[in-house]
Amino acid sequence: MPMRIKITSEIAGQVWKLLAQQGDELAADAPIVILESMKMEIPILAPTAGKIIELHVAEEDMVAEDQLICVIESQ
Amino acid sequence: MSWQDEIDEVNKRRTLAKQQGGAEAVAKHHEKGRQSIRERIDALVDSDSFDEIGQGAGVPEYDDDGNLSNFQPANFILGFGKLNGRKVIIGGEDFTVKGGSPNPAGLRKSVYTEQLALQYKLPLIRLHEGGGGSVGGTGQDKNRRPLGEPVFSTSRFLPLAQTLGAVPVATAALGPVAGLPAARLVASHFSVMTENAAVLIAGPQVVKRALGHDLTKEQLGGPQVHLKSGAIDNLASDEQDALQQIALFLSYVPDNVWSFPAHQPSADKIDRCEDELAHIVPRNRRQPFQMRKIIDMVVDQQADGGSSFFEMGRKFGPSLITGLARMNGHSVGVIGNDCMFYAGAMTASAAQKLRRFVDFCNSFHLPIVSFIDEPGFMIGPDSEMAGTIRHGTSAISAVLQSRVPWACVQVLKAFGVAAQAHFGPDAYVLSWPSAASGALPVEGGVAVAFAREIAAAEDPAARQKELEDMLAASQSPFPRAEGLSVHEIIDPRETRPKLIAWLENAQAAYRTQAPQPYLTTMRP
Repeated sequence: MPMRIKITSEIAGQVWKLLAQQGDELAADAPIVILESMKMEIPILAPTAGKIIELHVAEEDMVAEDQLICVIESQ
Repeated sequence: MSWQDEIDEVNKRRTLAKQQGGAEAVAKHHEKGRQSIRERIDALVDSDSFDEIGQGAGVPEYDDDGNLSNFQPANFILGFGKLNGRKVIIGGEDFTVKGGSPNPAGLRKSVYTEQLALQYKLPLIRLHEGGGGSVGGTGQDKNRRPLGEPVFSTSRFLPLAQTLGAVPVATAALGPVAGLPAARLVASHFSVMTENAAVLIAGPQVVKRALGHDLTKEQLGGPQVHLKSGAIDNLASDEQDALQQIALFLSYVPDNVWSFPAHQPSADKIDRCEDELAHIVPRNRRQPFQMRKIIDMVVDQQADGGSSFFEMGRKFGPSLITGLARMNGHSVGVIGNDCMFYAGAMTASAAQKLRRFVDFCNSFHLPIVSFIDEPGFMIGPDSEMAGTIRHGTSAISAVLQSRVPWACVQVLKAFGVAAQAHFGPDAYVLSWPSAASGALPVEGGVAVAFAREIAAAEDPAARQKELEDMLAASQSPFPRAEGLSVHEIIDPRETRPKLIAWLENAQAAYRTQAPQPYLTTMRP
């Protein structure tokens, strides 16, 4: 059964780099976005291998704590 | 004349008490994937070590001939037990009787739990699952108005508070826990909840009527709420994991505040120097690193190769890491900044977590090892609204009033007022070459302090970079070592042997005085 996993941001910040696109297959721990927060580059990683089926942010977007970043479908 | 009839009556009552809420209620409980309180206690303590108190407490029913026909046992189970050979007091609500909402004998037993731990000066474990009082009260006779406690009685909440200053208290939420049991749950030094537990002041129906919110009990008080709120420290994957975490927590602390933590022989090498420590901190200060990796490399490894670091409260105030570990077999409290969260800045919740943890370490005579990467208090409107400055100053007060030995390893940043929250009194201070100290990090400070000068320059960006480089050099650890502002600048690989050598000396000095309860004063 494929599982859908919602990836949210644990911190507030700005999307500095988007490293994956909708439809991309990711390995576990692959970076999806890098947020800039408090002058640091904080990656958000895929918790498990899977495909990005929804992507909800673009570069330079401001992100709040707990905001949905993407949805991954894992096999 | 024999007393056999009465002895038979004793045995009958014991049998009835062990039926708990009845076979049906216990089966229903199992269907939900949960164990009964008696099964939980048996799963945690050494086999056959549970020595129950108050098994005969409950509500009897008699037939017309005056013979005992049924017995509703107290819905709180309590007694002495042994955990890895060590005596503890253990208790918990019996959810199969009235959903754990206290019946009169259950309430008395639950209140007695703390008094027993205080009297015998033994660690206290409470396994919670139950509701609070009902609007009808707990009186046995519903036709009479509840009498309440006499005015001269001691509040049941006093021993609840007193235990925290006397014995280690570890608690678990293993199902819905509401009202009084929820208050008992959080009156602890360490608390853990399972995925299917919920911790509530009041349940969904009461909330809906009062406020109109239509929420499940999991939405109101599930793990995603209370790990972050700080009400509960850790998540457990299942009941067994919860009990294991409680056993692990207790292994680091003494039986009471009048004792020192026990030493456990360590198989790890004192002079283990991990090469990765020399390059784990990126030279580019915009890039984060994993402080937990540093902690794991420095503290004792266990025989199975795992780290002895046991983290508590990871989701609450996550820019600060707190936990217990061993150094050459000695228990220590560990704190560290996690730069993955707001560069490790001190938020209001991180400050509350730190204050509580430092008081806990002082209560149980645990030396503190501090790994520092502190950029300062968290800034911005949310942080101001959260009262960070007060909570932060309170944490600093707790740190500086500390009486246990402190060692501080400055890994990277130590800036602003918040830096003070990482250096206890008379601390042994080691600095890594990557350390940088000052009033403000150059990344934010230069652009503000030198705004006019930068704007007036021919090439503002170049001038800003020049100023930043100049000030970064002044934040280097070398001048601080020259002025004996740190004990040593070290090769990061030497961190473990240096800390162990310090700990032997510091602990020997600390233990020349008898262990005493830790009393604190008013704080900001």
